[in-house]
Amino acid sequence: MPFKKPVQKYNASINTVELGVGDKKIVLGGENVLPLYTFDGAIENAPKVGIEISDLGYADQVPGISGFYADCATIADMAKKAASIEAVDFVCLRLDSADPNGYDASFEDCVATAKAVAEAIDKPLVIAGCKNDEKDAQLFTKIADALQGKNVLMFSAKEANYKGIAASAGLAYGQKVGAESAVDINLAKQLNVLITQMGVNASNVVMNTGTAAAGYGFEYVVSTMDRVKAAALGQNDASLQLPIMTPVGSETWGVKESVASEEDMPAWGSQEKRGIGMEVTTAAAVLASGSNAVILRHPESVAAVAKLIKELI
Amino acid sequence: MGKFVVIGERIHCISPVIREAMNTMNPEPILKRAEEQLKAGATYLDLNIGPAESNGEELMKWAVTTLQGAFDNVPLALDTANMKAIEAGISVYNRSKGKPIVNSADAGDRIEYIDLAANNDAICVALCSKAGVPADNDERMAYLQEMLERGLTLGMEPEDLWFDPLFLVIKGMQDKQMDVLEFIRMISEQGLNSTGGLSNNSNGMPKNIRPIMDSAMVAMAMMCGLTSAIVNPCDLRLMETIKSCDIIKNETLYADSYLEI
Repeated sequence: MPFKKPVQKYNASINTVELGVGDKKIVLGGENVLPLYTFDGAIENAPKVGIEISDLGYADQVPGISGFYADCATIADMAKKAASIEAVDFVCLRLDSADPNGYDASFEDCVATAKAVAEAIDKPLVIAGCKNDEKDAQLFTKIADALQGKNVLMFSAKEANYKGIAASAGLAYGQKVGAESAVDINLAKQLNVLITQMGVNASNVVMNTGTAAAGYGFEYVVSTMDRVKAAALGQNDASLQLPIMTPVGSETWGVKESVASEEDMPAWGSQEKRGIGMEVTTAAAVLASGSNAVILRHPESVAAVAKLIKELI
Repeated sequence: MGKFVVIGERIHCISPVIREAMNTMNPEPILKRAEEQLKAGATYLDLNIGPAESNGEELMKWAVTTLQGAFDNVPLALDTANMKAIEAGISVYNRSKGKPIVNSADAGDRIEYIDLAANNDAICVALCSKAGVPADNDERMAYLQEMLERGLTLGMEPEDLWFDPLFLVIKGMQDKQMDVLEFIRMISEQGLNSTGGLSNNSNGMPKNIRPIMDSAMVAMAMMCGLTSAIVNPCDLRLMETIKSCDIIKNETLYADSYLEI
């Protein structure tokens, strides 16, 4: 009997969300098959690769990262350099300086930084905060206002601060809103419901369902994403048919495999190679589980993951 | 089996307002009831134009295009004793949100409704009865098999026959209720779909009691595998029960706002 290949195609699909403007704008989502399942149906919009820069600079990072930006005098220079990598689809500016427990940079300074970065690049921009819910909410509101017309993604609103971010970025200033939950499938759905109930169109929302470095509770990350896609496609659950963006580099470059020096751990070999390995492995795994975009830090990781996507899609 | 399918029953010519609207082809009252039901969570809307012997075809076409035009091609169940009117309705029906439902066939005089559904690639509600109430589940099953065979012979997919176990009124047939539930389980065990006029169970009960009884019935029926019901979606208690049962059955993913979506 001849083998008949079963096809798993769904009558539901993931929403498309556009980021950026002009020639370099990108589209996330749109697929009606499971992640990377091109054998079941075409995936029109391949997963996208973003590169992350911090407004505190990367002087303390591994040589491959710090060296890459060594000739950059300003954060705008860094953004330009990052965006010049061909495989990079978008740039993520992380405003670490805003942290009230750290540098506590003023809103004015952060807005100026965001503006300078937005002007320096023509690729889409994602703005990540300082992980302080209160400060981020105000920060995103001010930046969303300042960058009107640039179609940037505010990454992200959480349960504690979504109202202000959704109202400003999503409604008043026409930007995109990230919806972040910490590896909690029910909260992921709930947050999408709450944001859309405020009047934000679902096609202006990107999910961050939470992340971890591979090996650090990562199976929960994967099972959450699996469940999101199963509900979105298999149960036609409109509240979960949103593309997912996963910050990878900010997680993986903080775990011991990436931080421990070769001097301390001679048996583990090159620190930089380990760090890239952690970043690429984690990115590949979240892409296979449903991420429509990943944010990486090391230029070599960007090249490797972009190549992986190109070979698969 | 998937999320429970609620078919809203409130566009029915037995209501004086709707009958008047159908007589004069006045869209307002019909659209108002459609909107209420969709807001309350109905997936399909039942469109019952009664016997409609004289102008059934024209009326059904008008009603289908009116409803689908106003509500993004809402899927409909076409409900009338006039078969030509159902065919006319299907001829103008847009399938983008779901196949039309032919409501309904039985194993007796209305067996040809299955042919009608098969010829028009529609879903068919199939009442497991011939004349009157079946004596027991053996009789119901015999009718089910007869209708299933007919549908399959005509090229229908088994999931397009939605078998109606015939919900019975508690006031009068209280001792038969568990039979009905058992029959739903038998339908479900064959992997088949089911639906029916569930609120018939509470017929004749005081107004304040009916939502309670209907909710209990739908929960027990969903436990047995009921996949759909033709009900009043504006009954809040009933809809809350259906949504909660869908959560317990893992047919929809829980979120704190699940009752609002």
